[in-house]
Amino acid sequence: MRELRLHRSLYTESAVSEALGVFAGYADIERSEDGDHRIVRVTSESPARERRVAGELGNYALGLSVRDRGAAQ
Amino acid sequence: MSALAGVPPEVASIDDDHVSLSVDESIYSLDAVYGASYIFIDRCFVVVDRPAPGRFKVTLSAKQGEGGQDVLRALIGEFANELLACAWRQRITNENRATIEAVTMQALSGAMGPPSLDELQDFDFSDSSFEDPLGIAASWEDKYKKKAATGATDSAPTEAASTEDSSSPGETR
Repeated sequence: MRELRLHRSLYTESAVSEALGVFAGYADIERSEDGDHRIVRVTSESPARERRVAGELGNYALGLSVRDRGAAQ
Repeated sequence: MSALAGVPPEVASIDDDHVSLSVDESIYSLDAVYGASYIFIDRCFVVVDRPAPGRFKVTLSAKQGEGGQDVLRALIGEFANELLACAWRQRITNENRATIEAVTMQALSGAMGPPSLDELQDFDFSDSSFEDPLGIAASWEDKYKKKAATGATDSAPTEAASTEDSSSPGETR
């Protein structure tokens, strides 16, 4: 299992939700909240796959958050 | 986790498969961090965190998991350079925002070409400011009508107007 901790002030709600929807078919993904962070846990058949899915999911959410901030300004 | 050579351990640290950089928000804004991170998401996995108020922590991991610490060291060095470039570009943009907007506006208005005769005819020039402290812009007719109107309130206006009209032709004869 691999865990991503995404800070609320840096990753928007819509970006994380959209990223979870995109990568839901590639691994088992659980979401929870912990203070200022959104926790995403990725479980898959191998550690390498978990690492890749978690990494790409984080990149995707980051890209969407950057886009959202640009649109908001 | 171990420190990078030549870099304080509280600024950057490196591990087997990832490297982290601590960023001061007072020097590098969130826009700069976002900009540099966005450039690197096609080369590595990027996670941005805020461990404490006023600080960002950027963690980079190689996508293939190969290359070891040499690749990670090169990645974080390039990221720091890109972060500095983004911060500098943003500062220049902010300082020259008014100039950029003015030049862009002039370029757009110039690209539209000169106004046509119809556009000039429809243009409302009445909003233009015009100062006339001596009252020389008022027409003779306006001044004369005002005097006639004030005199008309005191006495019979029709008689005064009729005498002026009737006398003036006689005087010219």
